[in-house]
Amino acid sequence: MRFVFLFSVFVVATCGLIYELVASTAASYLLGDSVTQFSTVIGVYLFAMGVGSYLSKYFKSDLLKTFIIVELLVGVFGGLSSTMLFIGFNFISSFQFFLYLVVFIIGTLVGLEIPLMLRILKDRFSFDDLVAKIFSFDYVGALLASLLFPLVLVPFLGLLKTSYLFGMFNAAIAYFMVDYLRAAKKVKVMLKSSSVAVVLLLCGCFAASESILSWSESLAYQEKIIISKSSKYQRIIVTRSNDDIRLYLNGNLQFSSRDEYRYHESLVYPALFKNPKARNVLVLGGGDGLAVRELLKWKGIEHITLVDLDHDMIELFKQNPLLTDLNSNSLNNPKLSIINQDAFIWLKQNSGKFDLAIVDFPDPSNYSVGKLYTTAFYKLLYDALGEQGSAVVQSTSPFFASKSFWCINNTIQSTGFKTTPYHSYVPSFGEWGYVLCEKHPSPMTDHPVNTRFFNRITWNSMTDFPEDMRSDTQEKNKLNNQVLVSLFEHEWSRYTHLQ
Amino acid sequence: MSGRDTHTCNSLSRRDFIKRSLLTASALSLVPLASTTSCSQPHAPTGGMVNDNSGTGHLIRQGFKGKPAKVVDLPVAIVGGGVSGLSAAWHLNKHKLSDFLVFDLAAKEGGNAVSGSNTISSFPWAAHYLPIVNNSNTGLIRFLEQQNIITGFDEAGLPIYNDYYLCFDPEERLFINGHWQDGLVPSFGVPEQEKEQIAAFFKLVEDYKHKTGSDGKPVFEIPISQSSQDTEFRDLDKQSFHDFLLAKTWDSPYLLWYLNYCCKDDYGSTLQDTSAYAGLHYFCARRAKAANAESSAVLTWPEGNAFLVNSLSKELKSKIRTNQLITSVNLVNDKVEIVAYHALTQECIAYRCEQVILATPQYINRYLLPPELHDSSALQAFEYSPWMVANITVTGLTQYKGEPLSWDNVLYHSKSLGYVNACHQHLNRYEDSYVLTYYLPLTDLPSKQARHAIMEKPYESWVQEILADLRPAHPNIERMVTNIDVRLWGHGMIKPKPGFIFGKEKEQAAEPLAGKIYKAHTDLAGISIFEEAFAQGIGAANAILKLHAETAGA
Repeated sequence: MRFVFLFSVFVVATCGLIYELVASTAASYLLGDSVTQFSTVIGVYLFAMGVGSYLSKYFKSDLLKTFIIVELLVGVFGGLSSTMLFIGFNFISSFQFFLYLVVFIIGTLVGLEIPLMLRILKDRFSFDDLVAKIFSFDYVGALLASLLFPLVLVPFLGLLKTSYLFGMFNAAIAYFMVDYLRAAKKVKVMLKSSSVAVVLLLCGCFAASESILSWSESLAYQEKIIISKSSKYQRIIVTRSNDDIRLYLNGNLQFSSRDEYRYHESLVYPALFKNPKARNVLVLGGGDGLAVRELLKWKGIEHITLVDLDHDMIELFKQNPLLTDLNSNSLNNPKLSIINQDAFIWLKQNSGKFDLAIVDFPDPSNYSVGKLYTTAFYKLLYDALGEQGSAVVQSTSPFFASKSFWCINNTIQSTGFKTTPYHSYVPSFGEWGYVLCEKHPSPMTDHPVNTRFFNRITWNSMTDFPEDMRSDTQEKNKLNNQVLVSLFEHEWSRYTHLQ
Repeated sequence: MSGRDTHTCNSLSRRDFIKRSLLTASALSLVPLASTTSCSQPHAPTGGMVNDNSGTGHLIRQGFKGKPAKVVDLPVAIVGGGVSGLSAAWHLNKHKLSDFLVFDLAAKEGGNAVSGSNTISSFPWAAHYLPIVNNSNTGLIRFLEQQNIITGFDEAGLPIYNDYYLCFDPEERLFINGHWQDGLVPSFGVPEQEKEQIAAFFKLVEDYKHKTGSDGKPVFEIPISQSSQDTEFRDLDKQSFHDFLLAKTWDSPYLLWYLNYCCKDDYGSTLQDTSAYAGLHYFCARRAKAANAESSAVLTWPEGNAFLVNSLSKELKSKIRTNQLITSVNLVNDKVEIVAYHALTQECIAYRCEQVILATPQYINRYLLPPELHDSSALQAFEYSPWMVANITVTGLTQYKGEPLSWDNVLYHSKSLGYVNACHQHLNRYEDSYVLTYYLPLTDLPSKQARHAIMEKPYESWVQEILADLRPAHPNIERMVTNIDVRLWGHGMIKPKPGFIFGKEKEQAAEPLAGKIYKAHTDLAGISIFEEAFAQGIGAANAILKLHAETAGA
């Protein structure tokens, strides 16, 4: 029996330290600044343990029963601590208060454990032996926990599963302690079944931890997630709140259905107004079919070739009724051919000639995407267009990243295109930029179109760049010197760090 | 009595307790391992040692001489299908002297510039890049223009290099002080004083770059034979690079690490083992100007310099004889007779040639040539560094903080030169698997001992060594590696030891024999780079073209 009790001290000590580490790590993940988080969480936890130790003197009788109840409480609170923190982070405005409250509750409960155990065992050992044993097992348990946590638990189990597992250990201790309890059978049965219930609860959470994790992640999106899918290339998430549908790729907003017409009209119509006789059109990127939807409204366009790498994304926008509603079923239009290939490689092998190309790639935030904004790429684009051909390139924000925008413009110009840079305001993105590229400059014509934003008069303001959207950078982006990626990173970091 | 009993009992229970708790702990740590998917457990990568033809090659060291079944007349033979031999062949062919054959021991020509491939990418087995070329090197520039590696010239006459062959950004990074920094010159966590020494070294480099000797030629030029003959600078060859640096009181560990790395990278030798001339040549001989690239830019391909080999050999396919070992070269009457042994059919043919180009290293030539034709003791001065090259296939490479995966990825405090991403010049946006070419020159032991040591090391030991070397920069590397192939180069490249480049032995070994046998190899230049091999080949071919022109004229 003495072994069982000492073993329980060991387990309890291990669990206690694990919860402290779980809370510190979760706080670092969620709030950043790990030094501060570890320091304050450990401080609050130790203080709470002191409070628990002090409170232990108020428990006068039924010590073992109290210990069992404390174990069950520690099992529930400790076991669910990381879950509470991850979910609470998304709901609770004063998260730090919540964090310290959780830490304080667990700390207080853990603080009760050792003093109670000392008193339970006080008649079974001499006092010096008792103190020596309990505290040595306590500290050995702490050592074990501190080694297991970074080396085994975090890498293999993650924070959620770790806390569930150790919560089960607390409940298991409670279960086995009941056997040593002198109490009415009814009480014993009740305590045992409570222990089993706690273990089952945590087991269930353990099994469902993946969904709990993705659910808590999903809370980070303010809207309801209606589609969440990992393709070979990216994480596709579609959200909906009321009538607003949003597409996120790898966490980056691609469009909001409330204002995407502003973006897509700006992307497509200026090029069409300058090149109204375009028949054969190429779309690079833009697997959502929204640019294609606008193109299909234009009389005279006979054929559209869409090159987008991600087959899963295309299928989604071909089949999902909500999304086909949004893109007017454009991806199933007989005028369209879809090619699932890397745009650069396809363009390098392509020998066809197009009248118009719509280039709609993600922003140049890394060297891989940056390749699609280089002189080498634009030379291929030039060669893929007929003599009267033109193109338009999505070129990030001239307001947030003016050097990047003008660098793209310079790069395109250096390959022989005559460019017309322009911009429009898209509320969910901010001020956005595009570069119209022509082999030979042509006049802007006017056409009756069924648009909500773009028209011939709006165009005049779109080509005007106030001082805060200008830059005199001379940089050109090349495969062997991707200046654009560092410009982009530098310019956007000023904004993303503020959030 | 009872007291002692309790004591014994307690100590037993304590030991028992610790034992049990350790068991519990290990059970705890095993559960998660078992419960996570089995693929996350370290697994042994596939792969093995790649044959380097050394078996067939060693036949000639054992004195093997083929007995020819027949004798065939052949105007010109080129022995050795590395870059020197192929450059000679390319040049002869271009000048309409096409009656020749190239013999190579390996199954595929290319020498140090051979490559392999798998489902992820082509990859080099040794030489893997060419720095953009000095504008004075007109012969090589013409070759590059012909191959569309140079696509044209701007108004100032500067070459425009092919965008797809210039090394893409990001080019180089260094793992130092727990962080991947941009570029290879140490800067992250380097003290100011050491940075000053590094800057002082580069200032010296700038000075030397534009210096000319008393004969008006550049102090450092590529090929080396075009450099100034001024003894003031040739004397730099007499001391080691290490002594040269210490004489300048440059002792910064970071600077010395960097320069030692550069010597190992270009020559497979250490600072102590490299002459100051060779060490400086690496930095001071490159003055290339291009319309669309910095002077330090390099040309590279997934398959490495095998791309250049294919450019040289694509019109010569019918003239290249692979799997053929030349076992002897002799003067018979007024012709040169070479005996070729076919490693697969074991057939032997003697070729009677007007002229022969020996595009083989001198450690081979000493077995090929009869003693009366040359003094083989001079060849003792030629020392070659052994190399190990591994091609590593990885999926989802994780890494510590800093710069992203680059073309050249170097690890400070590693014996290796790090690795080159063979997929770097791929154009596609998404890639989750890469082939990394890992280079290790063996510099710890004298070359001969090192050569023996590597031949005996089993494949599994190489794998463990490579993984241990990469692990500090790539945690869990063993889980990402799917295949490792290892290839040994017993005589990887010539070592430019102090006194070698301008030594008598090298000069003597380079002499043509009997007006009929010409030699072309980078070991006769003293440094093993593509430009030297190309110049060696063109030089030997020109000598033969001159003879033919004279004969035709007579």
